[in-house]
Amino acid sequence: METIGINYRAILPETITASVAILIMLIDAVARKIERRVAGVVCLLGTLAAAGAVLSLWGRNGETSFRGMIITDDFRTFFAMIFLVVAFLTVLISIRWIEDEALPTGEYFALLMFATTGMLFMAAANDLVMIFLGLEITSISTYVLCGYRRRDLRSNESAMKYFILGSFSTAFLLYGIALVYGASYNPMAQPLATTNLQLIRERIESGQLFSTEMLLAGAAMMIVGFGFKVATAPFHVWSPDVYEGAPTPVTAFLSTGSKAAAFASFARVFILTFAATSFGLGSSALHALQSATTTALVVMAILTMTIGNLAAIVQSNIKRMLAYSSIAHAGYALVGIVANDWRAVAFYLLCYVLINLGAFGIIEVIARRGDKRVEISDYSGIGFQSIGLSSALALFLLSLAGLPLTGGFMAKLLVFKSAWSAGFHALVVIAVINSAVSWYYYLRVMVAMFFAEPATAFKPPAVARSTAAAIVLALLGTLYLGIVPGRVLDTLERARDQMTQPKK
Amino acid sequence: MSQLILTIIVFLPLAGVVALLLIGRGQRADERALKWIAFLFALATFIASLALPIGFDKSAGLQFETNVEWINAFNLGVRYHVAVDGLSLWLVVLTTFLVPLALLSSWNSIHKRLREFLVSLLALETGMLGVFVAMDMFLFYIFWEVMLVPMYFLIGVWGGERRIYAAVKFVIYTVVGSLLMLAGIIALYYVHGSQALNYTFDIATITNDVRSGALVIDPTTQTFLFLAFAIAFVIKVPLFPFHTWLPDAHVEAPTAGSVLLAGVLLKMGTYGLMRFNLPIFPDASHQFATLICTLAVIGIIYGALVAMVQPDLKKLVAYSSVSHLGFVVLGIFSFTDQGMQGALYQMLNHGVSTGALFIIVGMIYDRRHTRLIAEFGGLANVMPVFSTFFMIVTLSSIALPLLNGFVGEFLILIGTFTSTLLPHARLFTSLAALGMILSAVYMLWMYQRVIFGEVRNPSNLKLGDLNFREKLVLAPVAALVLVMGVYPSPFLSRSSRTIETIKSALGAQASLPASSRATNEQAEMAALPGER
Repeated sequence: METIGINYRAILPETITASVAILIMLIDAVARKIERRVAGVVCLLGTLAAAGAVLSLWGRNGETSFRGMIITDDFRTFFAMIFLVVAFLTVLISIRWIEDEALPTGEYFALLMFATTGMLFMAAANDLVMIFLGLEITSISTYVLCGYRRRDLRSNESAMKYFILGSFSTAFLLYGIALVYGASYNPMAQPLATTNLQLIRERIESGQLFSTEMLLAGAAMMIVGFGFKVATAPFHVWSPDVYEGAPTPVTAFLSTGSKAAAFASFARVFILTFAATSFGLGSSALHALQSATTTALVVMAILTMTIGNLAAIVQSNIKRMLAYSSIAHAGYALVGIVANDWRAVAFYLLCYVLINLGAFGIIEVIARRGDKRVEISDYSGIGFQSIGLSSALALFLLSLAGLPLTGGFMAKLLVFKSAWSAGFHALVVIAVINSAVSWYYYLRVMVAMFFAEPATAFKPPAVARSTAAAIVLALLGTLYLGIVPGRVLDTLERARDQMTQPKK
Repeated sequence: MSQLILTIIVFLPLAGVVALLLIGRGQRADERALKWIAFLFALATFIASLALPIGFDKSAGLQFETNVEWINAFNLGVRYHVAVDGLSLWLVVLTTFLVPLALLSSWNSIHKRLREFLVSLLALETGMLGVFVAMDMFLFYIFWEVMLVPMYFLIGVWGGERRIYAAVKFVIYTVVGSLLMLAGIIALYYVHGSQALNYTFDIATITNDVRSGALVIDPTTQTFLFLAFAIAFVIKVPLFPFHTWLPDAHVEAPTAGSVLLAGVLLKMGTYGLMRFNLPIFPDASHQFATLICTLAVIGIIYGALVAMVQPDLKKLVAYSSVSHLGFVVLGIFSFTDQGMQGALYQMLNHGVSTGALFIIVGMIYDRRHTRLIAEFGGLANVMPVFSTFFMIVTLSSIALPLLNGFVGEFLILIGTFTSTLLPHARLFTSLAALGMILSAVYMLWMYQRVIFGEVRNPSNLKLGDLNFREKLVLAPVAALVLVMGVYPSPFLSRSSRTIETIKSALGAQASLPASSRATNEQAEMAALPGER
C-alpha cells in the first residue's frame, strides 16, 4: 500500500540520526570549548531515539513510501537494530579514545552518525538507486574516518586505499544497477524500465524482461560491488590494509557496521529480489539467474572462508588477523545468502557485530594511544596481569571460533543448518572444516596472553567507564545470544519481509 | 528431588567456581581456603553422585530424567534433557570420584595461579559430567566443546616445558573431530526429522526411532554419518593412528590434568561410540567393525611396544593408555554382551588404575622433579608404603586376576572370541591377548627398575615415604581396585540392561543366547579363578 505524499514516519530513524549528525556539527561550530563528551552523549541519545523509532516500525509489513523508494518491513527493522547496536557501541568505545588521542571530536561523531544514516537507508531501500545512495553515504563517511588520524601514515594509507578501491567497486555496482535497469525494460508495462526491487522481482518472475543475459551481467556486476563492500574473496585484498591502518574504533565500525549494511543490501537484492520464488512458478529467466548466482556465490563463499582463515594464521598483527578473520566470517554469512535464508544471515550478523565490537574495544584499550601495541607478541603474558580484559578477549575470540554457549556458535549453527536443509551439504562440510582451522589462530592470541612469558613491560591499562560499559554490553549480548537465544530467534521467525506479505 | 539430582550434580562444581571467584577478590586470598573450598565442592559432588547408583533401577532405561524445552524457534527443538542409564551411570560416578583425588594429589604442587587452577579443574568437572548425562545432541555437543577450554588452560598454564605445543595440539585435534560431529549432528537432525516428521536433537528419541524402524537411514548416509561421529570419538579415545596428541598432552599436563585426561576424557570417546554409533548406525557399525578392530589391535600392540621403550614414566603410562583403550574399542565392536560389558567395565578400570598411576608418577615427580626411570631404583627400601600402593596399581593395570583389570579384559576377550558378528574375531582376540602379555612385560619391568634393587642414586636415599594426604589419595583407589576385582556384580548388573538394548539395535542375530543375568554370572565366574 503506497501512502500518498510524504510519509515522515517511515524515515524517522534516518531523520533522527542525520539530525543528530548536523546538531553535533553545529554544536562544534558554535561552542568551541564545549566539554568534549557532550558530542558523544548526544550521539548515544540520538542512537537510542532512533532505535525507539525503528521499534515503532515493527510489524508494518511491506509498507512502501516515497514512491516505492523506502520499504518498511521486519527485514528492515531487524537490520536497522543491528546497525544501531553497532553505532551505540562504537560511540561508547570512542568517547574516551578520541579524548586521549586529542583528535577533533565534532567531525568524528558527526561522520559516525552520517555513516549510520547511510546504513539505515541501505536496509530500508526498496530501490537500487536508494541502495546506491545509502552505500555512498556510508562509504564516503568511512573513507574520511579511516584517515582520521591525520598525521599517522598508516591511517593515511588506509583511507587512500579504501577510497580508491571503494570508488572502483562502487562503479561496478552502479554499472550492475544500470544493466539490471536496462534488462527490466518491458514495453507493455508502466514504467517501461525500473530500479524498483519489487517491480524487478515481478518482471523476473513473470519473465517479462528485455534480456536475460543483460540481467545476468548486471547481477554479476552487483556481486562484484557487494563482494567488495562485505570483503569476500577475491575482492577482499583491501580490507587487511584498511583495517590495520584505520584507528581501532573505526576498524571496529568498518568491520561490523559497513559489513552488516552491505550484507543487508546483498540479502535484499539477492535473496528477496533475485531468488524470489514465493509467488508464481518462476520463469526461465529466474532459473537462469538463480543457477548462475548460486554457483558464483558458492564459489565465493568457499574462497572467502578458506583464504580468510588460511591468511589469518600467519598474521602477527592482531588487527590484521581480525581483518582476515572477518573475511572468513563474511564467508560464513555468505553461506546463509547461498541458502536463501536472510534470517540466518541477520542472526549471524547480530552475533558477529557484538563479538567483534567487544574484541576491538579491548584491542583499543590495550593498543593505547597511537595504536602502539597491536602485535600479537605485545599480548605476551598480559593474561594474568589484567585478567578481566584478557578473559573477555579470550571469550570473544572463542566465540568467533564458534564455542558453544556463545553467540558465535548459535550463529554458525543456524547458518549451517539452513544451508544443509537447502541441500548444500558439501558447502557445510567445507565451512565446518574452516571453523576448525580458525581455532588455531584464535588460540594463538590466547597462548600469547596466558601461556607465554611477558615479552615487554606491561602495565594494566585503566579502562574508561564508557569503554568498559561497551565491552560488558558486548559480552552480555554474546552470552545472551549463545545461552538463551530463544527470544531473538522467535522474533526473527515471526519477522516478515517484503515477500511474505500479500501482494496488493 | 530425583529429577533435579543430576542437574545438581552437574552444576555443583560450577557453583564451586563461582564461590572461588567471589572469595577474597581483590586481596591475596588464603591459598588453603581456596583449596578447601574446591575440595569440599568436589567432595560434595561425589557424595551427591552416590545417590545415583543407590537409587538406580536396574530394570529401567533412562533415569533421574529432566527434560525441559530450551530453544524452540525455527523448529530447532533443543531441549535440556539430562538422564543416566546403565552406560553413563558409573562414568558419572567415576568422574566425581576422580576429581577430589586429583585435587588432593596436587594439593602442594601448584605454585602459581592457584585460584585459576582450581577454577579450571571444577569447570572441567561440570563439562565432563555434562557430556555423560546429556541426552540431547545439542546439549552433548555444548558440553563436549566447552570442556575443551578448561583443559586447554590446565595444560597450557600449569603444564611442563612443551605445554603450549601440547595444549594447542590437543585442542586442534579435538576440534577437527568435533566440528565434523557437528556437521553429523545437523545432518542427523534433518535425516531423522524428515522421516519421523519430528525435528529433534533428542538422542533417546532418535535411538528409539532407529530401533522401532520409524527411522531407516540409507546405507550411504549411514556411512557418512557414522564417520562424522566416529572420527570425533576415535580421536578422543584415541584410536591408532589418531593417538599422537595423547602422549604430548598427558606428559605436559600437570598431574591433576593427566589424571582427568586419562581417567575421564578418553572415556568420552568410547562412551560416544556406544551412545551414538552403535545404536543409531547399526549397519555402518557392522561395516566398519573390521577396520576399527584392526586399528584397535594395532593400537594395543603398538602402544605396548612403544611403552616398553619409554625412558620417561609418564610417557610410559600415556602409551599404556593407547594400548588399554584399544581393548575397550575391541570390546565395543565385538557386538556381544560380554564384549560390551567388558568394555564398559574396562573404561572404569582404566579410569581408576591409570588415574592412580598418574597420581603415583606425580608423587615421585614432586619429590625428585624428574620422571626418568633411570634416575630411580630401589625405592622399596626408602618408600615401602609407596611401593606397596604402586604394586597394587601396577598389577591392576596388567590385569592380574582378583584385581579389577582382569574382569574387564577377560570379558572383552571372551566377548570378542565368541563374537559371530565380527569377522576374524579369533584372530583379533589372539593378537589382543598378546597385548596383555606385553603389558605385563612393560609394567613389571618398569616397576622392577624403579622399586627393586639397591638405591644407586644418592639423591633417592632421603626420599620421604607417603604422608597422610598421599595415603588418603591412594587408599580409596587401592580399595576400589580390589572391590572391583572381586565383586564386579554391582557394577555390571546396573549396566546390563542398557547393553542389551544397544545390542538389540545391532540386529537380533546375537552371538550367544546370553541374558543379562547370564552376563553377570559369567562376570562373577571370571573373577573366580583368581580366588582359588
